[in-house]
Amino acid sequence: MPEKSFEDFISQHRPDFEEQGPGPGIWAQLEKELAPPKKGLVYMLGRHWLKAAAVLVLVVNSVMIFQFLQMKKAQHLENVSPELQDAKMYYTSQIEQRLTAIKAYPSSVVGLDSSARKELELRNETYQVLEAELIQNPGNERIKAAMIHYYQLKMDLLDKILDELHEKQPATQKQPNYEREI
Amino acid sequence: MQAFANNLNQTTITDHLVDRCKQGDVRAFRELYNAYSAAMYNICLRMTGNVADAEDTLQEAFMQIFKNIERLESASSVTAWIKRIVVNHCLSRLRKKKVYFEEVDNIDVEEDRGAVDEDSFAWTVAAIKDAIHVLPQGYRTVLNLYIFEEYSHKEIAVMLDISESTVKTQYMRAKDKVRQIVKQKNVIR
Repeated sequence: MPEKSFEDFISQHRPDFEEQGPGPGIWAQLEKELAPPKKGLVYMLGRHWLKAAAVLVLVVNSVMIFQFLQMKKAQHLENVSPELQDAKMYYTSQIEQRLTAIKAYPSSVVGLDSSARKELELRNETYQVLEAELIQNPGNERIKAAMIHYYQLKMDLLDKILDELHEKQPATQKQPNYEREI
Repeated sequence: MQAFANNLNQTTITDHLVDRCKQGDVRAFRELYNAYSAAMYNICLRMTGNVADAEDTLQEAFMQIFKNIERLESASSVTAWIKRIVVNHCLSRLRKKKVYFEEVDNIDVEEDRGAVDEDSFAWTVAAIKDAIHVLPQGYRTVLNLYIFEEYSHKEIAVMLDISESTVKTQYMRAKDKVRQIVKQKNVIR
């Protein structure tokens, strides 16, 4: 049977010239090359990574500044006057003991009104004024002496109150023997 | 030939799929690969002449396609773009194997005489495939690009960096050679 031209034959039988596609190994290799090493935070954030980084820096800075100020406040007195810090620890402990002892008596026995009780507290208004002055004038010996004097006066006052209370109601409880060391 | 071309063109590649590929979506790459891998593998197989080279070439070509997908302007040109990359990879591989496409003199080239003596034997797909397979590499390349990949003589001339007349000459000689081989097989049978 006469055949058509070479080109016509191929045109008419074109699909028959096709072989099967490639094996699955080709895609497997391609997929391996395409896979990113690991989706890091920057990858996931995409083009917003710069904004996110800026916000993160602001947040971290704010937290750091806050923590720094808190720490500075706590350590201020210690840095300003280390020897006064030791005295403060001693007197604070002594005054707190006395205040606790006074609070152990019934308020009817103590007979102090609320403003008087407030004045007896360790960190009263006078104390806060002195502390602020000392921070502003760290080398001022007069202020340091005034603070020590403040502690001593407070301890004297508390001792007197305790003595009177003890006389009024000796059986309430045994009070510690307070001794002046400074 | 036209049926095959139509089949490839009917592949549904949407702008959305191309956009997903541009965003690096591996699943989109896979869809693109699934749509084109069989047709492109056949180009590689015809051009390189063996399975190992065809697979390597296909893999390299698709890697380049994925990496350069940003350059693709729209889904409408995806088929021609992919095919051209694959063909370029095939030609590059052939050049690495020292296959050169040289100018030939076309004095003795006759016009297509396919219809003249084709009544003496019958073409078959298998016979033509076998005949093409044993053609010298230069002839085979020109014949494949013209008759199977449907590039014009002018386009092939640019691809191979030879003159258009050389492409025509090589095509005629390739076709003659195929005819001779198929005819011999017919006689033997």
